[in-house]
Amino acid sequence: MNNLSLRRLLLGLLGLAAFILVWKLITDAKLVSPIFFPSPQRTLTSLINGLGGGPLLGQTLETVERMLLGWLLASLVGIMLGALIGVSRRARAYIAPTLELLRPLPASAMIPIAIAFLGFSDQMVLVVIAFGALWPMLLATIHGFAAMEPRLYEVSAVLGLTRLQIIWKLALPSAMPMILASLRLGLTISLILAVVGEMLASREGLGQSVLLASRSFRSADLFAGIVILGAIGLVGSRLLSAAERRLLRWQATSR
Amino acid sequence: MAATHASLQAGQVAMTTAPAEQPRIRIRDVTLSYGALQIIGGISVDIAAGETISIIGPSGCGKTTLLRMLAGLARPTTGTVELDGAVLGGPDRSVAIVFQDYGKALLPWRTAAGNVSLALEARGCPAKERPVIIRELLDKIGLGRHADKYPSEMSGGMQQRLQIARCLAQEPKVLLMDEPFGALDAMTRQALQDEVLALVATTGATMVFVTHDLEEAIYLGDRIVCLQPNPGRIGRTVEVRLPRPRDQLVTREDPEFLRLRRELYDLIKDDHQ
Ligand SMILES: Nc1ncnc2c1ncn2[C@@H]1O[C@H](COP(=O)(O)OP(=O)(O)OP(=O)(O)O)[C@@H](O)[C@H]1O
Ligand SMILES: [Mg+2]
Repeated sequence: MNNLSLRRLLLGLLGLAAFILVWKLITDAKLVSPIFFPSPQRTLTSLINGLGGGPLLGQTLETVERMLLGWLLASLVGIMLGALIGVSRRARAYIAPTLELLRPLPASAMIPIAIAFLGFSDQMVLVVIAFGALWPMLLATIHGFAAMEPRLYEVSAVLGLTRLQIIWKLALPSAMPMILASLRLGLTISLILAVVGEMLASREGLGQSVLLASRSFRSADLFAGIVILGAIGLVGSRLLSAAERRLLRWQATSR
Repeated sequence: MAATHASLQAGQVAMTTAPAEQPRIRIRDVTLSYGALQIIGGISVDIAAGETISIIGPSGCGKTTLLRMLAGLARPTTGTVELDGAVLGGPDRSVAIVFQDYGKALLPWRTAAGNVSLALEARGCPAKERPVIIRELLDKIGLGRHADKYPSEMSGGMQQRLQIARCLAQEPKVLLMDEPFGALDAMTRQALQDEVLALVATTGATMVFVTHDLEEAIYLGDRIVCLQPNPGRIGRTVEVRLPRPRDQLVTREDPEFLRLRRELYDLIKDDHQ
């Protein structure tokens, strides 16, 4: 088992090294102007300087905080709302199709509305993130509830469980695999929207930093920011995968 | 009313020995239809407290449907099911049911102990007292060493044992079983038969046991109700006069056991012609 994951890690690192090598070859050959496309070395230097004494560390923390807050809000609202709709078959039948229809619209369509109500503020960005990232969790919870084994509803009826107990002890755990997968998706959306929100509303953070770097042709700083954004996404998704494996231990052996 | 008399013919002996006692379960002229299709066509039986009734009958004759009505999971179209003299309006904690598909009836994300705990949580048993009760129940049903296993890590027999343990945690007066050992091998099956008989004897629970297996019906039951199909109704009720406690070797070689097996076999064969 451990041997296998070590090999996977090595293969992953090898792929990354190849990617950086190609990047270096392209910049060395000057296929693209260095004004737009910096070499890996310059990007690394900018990264180290930025994180050391520069503003990059603070901006990273800003963006991560924004992303996490929005994601938590989205998860809380999404799962609670999903549970409310999910427990009732009738509510599901009425509401679920409308939700499916609305799902592709919100994130972008929401921004002008949020600006109108909240102006160019941190709250506006937070609302946009929460609203945009809400959908995977909401729909996963509804679907998870609907997919619960009907026999378990009968078991709960015979045992005399209350509706709240059914949600808490049966429906939520049985929907957990779907919900956990949606949490990972929601985190990615939160990161994207945090960056977009910062750009649009000029809030402190990586999004703004990347935008400013690009406007002033500081390509190395631009790429340093992008590298950090990629790292945030990777770390977040890895942490959630680990949590998923822990929480879904009961599933592991059946496969 | 006619059905009432028909069902009583063979049950007379048990009735006369304790005439004044109220039956634990009284099934009165129960019918059930899905739309125009009648599934159950007038069934009446009294089941005394502590009695074990086996139900046999060809596939599709309504055994599961009858059991679901006793559990309150299905409502009779006409007629009533009474528990201790009160009409059963829906599922009741004092009536436990062991489903045939144990895999679906257990919570895969809870360990064996956790699954038993669900029944205790449902009846408001304080968290402090639960571990001791769970321990006892799992020991009783032979799962003492597997308390921390998830259902996916258990064999079919172990999962069915677990479902029985959870039903016992309900402290039911009535234990309903729907072909609970159908999917198990012969040895596991016999072991579980004996465990269930012992449990019923110690708790004094009333048991209704649905099975396809004639020998199982005889081995477990005080009476055997034979259902006929289209619509489901009682064909015969057969008294089992075999001494208890029963024994896999001795009981099954008893001349009475063999006679009953023959009788039921002929009865079922007629139904299939
Ligand atoms: N929800 C339903 N709607 C319509 N018909 C049903 C429904 N449930 C059961 N039936 C019918 O009722 C009849 C009795 O079904 P039931 O499951 O009670 O039979 P059974 O005796 O338990 O059979 P088996 O031995 O195969 O388990 C069958 O003919 C079945 O098709
Ligand atoms: Mg059946």
